[in-house]
Amino acid sequence: MKNSDEKLIENKGSFGALLLIGFAVLPFLYGEGIFSIGDINMLGRYMSFAILALGLGLLWGYVGILSLCQFTFFCLGAYAMGMHLAHHGGPEGIIDANGWKIPACLFVVYPYDVGESSGDALVPGFWKPFWNLPLTLILGILIPGVTAFLLGYFVFRSRVRGVYFAILTQAIAVAGWLVFCRNDVMLCGTNGLTRFDVIAPSESFHTFNPVDAKDSWIASHGANMDYDLNGDEKLDQLDYSIADVGFSLSSERVQLWLYWITLSCLFGAYLLCRWIVKSRLGKVLLAIRDDEPTLHFFGYKPHIYKIFAFCIAAALAGLAGMLFVPQMKIVTPSNMEAYRSVLVVVWVAVGGRSSLGGAVLGALSVNLLYNFLTSEQDLLFFKWSPDYWPILLGLIFIAVVLYLPNGLIEIVNKLKKKFASSHLVTNSSQK
Amino acid sequence: MSHLIPSPFFWKVFPLLNNFCSLLIFLGLIPVSFAQDKKVPVETSIETNTQPNIDLLSQLPILASGDDELITEAITKLAKTGDTRLESFFELYRQGSVYNWPTEDGEIRIVVNLETVMDDDFNEFAPLLEPLTGKPFLVDGKQAKPDLLDLEDISPGRKLRSLVNSSKFLIRLFSPDYETRISGVKKCGDPPFMTEAMTSLQDISNDKEEEEKIRWTASESIALIGFGQKSEDFEGLTSRMDALEKLSLLNSLRALARIDGFEKDVEALENSEKINSKQSATLYKRISKVKKILESHKSSVELAGNLFRGLSYGSVLILIALGLAITFGLMGVINMAHGELVMIGAYATYEVQMYFGHSPENSVNEYYFFALPIAFIASAAVGLLMEKFVVRHLYNRPLESLLATWGVSLLLIQLVRLRYGDNIGVNAPTWARGGYEISQDVVLPFARLYLLALSAACVAFIYFIIRKTRKGMLIRATMQNRDMASSLGVRTRNVDRFTFALGSGIAGVAGYGWTIVGGVTPDMGTKLFIVDSFLVVVAGGVGELAGVLCSGLGIGVITKLIEPLEFGGFIIGPVWGKVILLALIVAFIQYKPAGLFAPKGRLGDKK
Repeated sequence: MKNSDEKLIENKGSFGALLLIGFAVLPFLYGEGIFSIGDINMLGRYMSFAILALGLGLLWGYVGILSLCQFTFFCLGAYAMGMHLAHHGGPEGIIDANGWKIPACLFVVYPYDVGESSGDALVPGFWKPFWNLPLTLILGILIPGVTAFLLGYFVFRSRVRGVYFAILTQAIAVAGWLVFCRNDVMLCGTNGLTRFDVIAPSESFHTFNPVDAKDSWIASHGANMDYDLNGDEKLDQLDYSIADVGFSLSSERVQLWLYWITLSCLFGAYLLCRWIVKSRLGKVLLAIRDDEPTLHFFGYKPHIYKIFAFCIAAALAGLAGMLFVPQMKIVTPSNMEAYRSVLVVVWVAVGGRSSLGGAVLGALSVNLLYNFLTSEQDLLFFKWSPDYWPILLGLIFIAVVLYLPNGLIEIVNKLKKKFASSHLVTNSSQK
Repeated sequence: MSHLIPSPFFWKVFPLLNNFCSLLIFLGLIPVSFAQDKKVPVETSIETNTQPNIDLLSQLPILASGDDELITEAITKLAKTGDTRLESFFELYRQGSVYNWPTEDGEIRIVVNLETVMDDDFNEFAPLLEPLTGKPFLVDGKQAKPDLLDLEDISPGRKLRSLVNSSKFLIRLFSPDYETRISGVKKCGDPPFMTEAMTSLQDISNDKEEEEKIRWTASESIALIGFGQKSEDFEGLTSRMDALEKLSLLNSLRALARIDGFEKDVEALENSEKINSKQSATLYKRISKVKKILESHKSSVELAGNLFRGLSYGSVLILIALGLAITFGLMGVINMAHGELVMIGAYATYEVQMYFGHSPENSVNEYYFFALPIAFIASAAVGLLMEKFVVRHLYNRPLESLLATWGVSLLLIQLVRLRYGDNIGVNAPTWARGGYEISQDVVLPFARLYLLALSAACVAFIYFIIRKTRKGMLIRATMQNRDMASSLGVRTRNVDRFTFALGSGIAGVAGYGWTIVGGVTPDMGTKLFIVDSFLVVVAGGVGELAGVLCSGLGIGVITKLIEPLEFGGFIIGPVWGKVILLALIVAFIQYKPAGLFAPKGRLGDKK
């Protein structure tokens, strides 16, 4: 226990450095034109992955629970945000009987019953709350949190532990993926949610009326232009007029802001996890990891603490998903495949699961490596093909588990210690 | 080590197999015996088709006689030979592509000509084909190409054409091959109804020497023809209704699909006031009675089918979960690459198939016999390598082993993908195509039956090794108390290695078995099996062969029974079935957190 506390304190410095780089150096490089907005965008996405990894770092590193469905929670958040963006994006014009605009991505794969025509498509009720941004933000965290609570309640209460829990969560990830792939759950099937244009914070509650938008557009552009509900070119122009009500995702300024928001959320999530770990609650969590039966014997109810940690991890995953979607501009069920959730474990394991900083470091480093190695590269005498990436990833993973159980952060710490001790030596020799 | 396999249960299930060799032979003989059983009818049918049929050739020249009565007689005779080559010949004859090319002596030669060629002087020549085989008609080793004017047109008249057309379908009824004959009999009952076939069908259904199944099908087809007639008044409807009731006695599922059409006919006649409401009411009453009978038959057939599908799915799960349970029980290692070992077994089968050159056109069924040991050895070898480089560092650290072996699985998938590409075809041996009909309409595919037998044999094999051999005794000892066994001189490292290889080899056998029912892709292990088979282990309890058996069969059967259920038009289907199954398992472990057969006592405390 004491050991991990020490590690935390040591990692504060490296996390500070990360923040400095994130907040100051990268925007500076962007301003100088060395980094494109695409690079910043990519980093923003990886930082949202880091938030996801942070949740698992807390859960796995401190409570000893290995969850293999973190990406499922991530996608619950991502789909919440995706529904908001799909509501406000895409070509306008397909209005259902209740006066709601049917998002283009939903309309394409709408699972009509026998005898229904395209006129009978309706926006399903559960899509409606996501019209509103604040509600979306709340639901995007609440839905994964509540799901995790229900799951944790039934599973932890019956003292399912360790590998059994991991296997169960993996089965849940597979089931979730299968469900989200279906068209009849009205989440756009394997196509996923697409056609995102704006984040609309000012929209209070379904005030958008495409008919009004059409009138105002005609008023400003002259009525002689034929307004075609299903046309293409003119609809693009209409998109711009609607974009006035929110922040256009294609604007660089908005993308930069999203990056900053993601970074702040990462920082916030880190502080939250650190606070949990350092509090008395954190001591109980560590005790669960180290010796659950004894803790149980002392009169604690470990399952309550476990459910709590599971919910926090799920909520963080949901937050990460919400931050990811506007930067990725698409969300598909392929993110929910079982191997994706194992990937989160890879990040945490590579970074070092015994500290929160390790999770962040792992997520960023593995993803940056992925970004580098999934394009063709000439490495000295060897022509690297993206096909080799899974092999390398597998090898990295085996090597980390076998030879570097504490991850990269251990190397960082060792280097730091070496540096510190040599510093001490020089100091003392000077004296 | 009594907890590993509760003996009373196993004693009942498997009779004692006294030595290892007999078991191996048993495993190996299954494909051979199947192959021989099935091959016999195939060979005979080929022989009858290749032998020149004397009777047939003697009838052909009559077609050129010009006498309609004689021709009619000849066609009837021809149809009764049951030679399926006549089907295409009759079609050509009907279209007028059959000619007489008399020899110089005036002898009749029946030939086929499809298209003519023209030389530079605009003379038309007709390349000729043999009437039955469709091969070039050879004269002096070259295809005959006489002047078109030398050919005598013998195309049939209108009356003969319709006769030829119906005879075309009758040929199958007289085929010596069982499959062809039954398909022909079946086809007579489908629209357009072959009323011409009635007498032949009657003959078949009354023929005492005929196969039971064909006689049954013939009477079904007769009734179906009666049921399919057009009706304009109450009497017509009543005779159709009588036929339908006959069908209900036969439990004919083909009739069930047509009842709706009949109801519509009744309704139409009632609306046009050709029958009165009283008459239609009696008809409706009789229809609903028949419907009830047929539907109850249908549901029982479906239930039996689903049960069997469940058993067969369960047998696959067991086959895969067996190896998992052994390695987890013995070494505390979760092997996420187990699915990839299954995949390697499947690819080994593919390689053997390629080596033997088996393909659907040119079947070399022996390959399947040799593929079994090779799949076992290939997967066991990969398993050994895995054990040496990765797994042995991770004994009794299940979480870490889960992660490291996941890395291995990633590696294996990609290596196989780079070598073989994304999709390959393993062609099942030809004997696996058909099915065994245990009762009316309940057909058990041979492939699935084989899988079931393979699974049972593997369980028996593992049981035998663990309970009846010295090696198995050492395995049990190591499992129970590693330190004590080691201090008594058991080389636990060797035991671990052997066990891991055994588990991996069984996974390879699973992959081998899978090739006759499903596709082979590099990620088949992860996509299809691994999660489900882990659920089997979780629900069954770790290190428990009996647990694996029960939960594997249970999960298989429950899955397949849930899937076709329907609530108000909503069919559950595979996806929701999986979700429900998962919920059931979560609910189940509320009561039995350690699975069906939990290790008791001090063994249960092991993490």
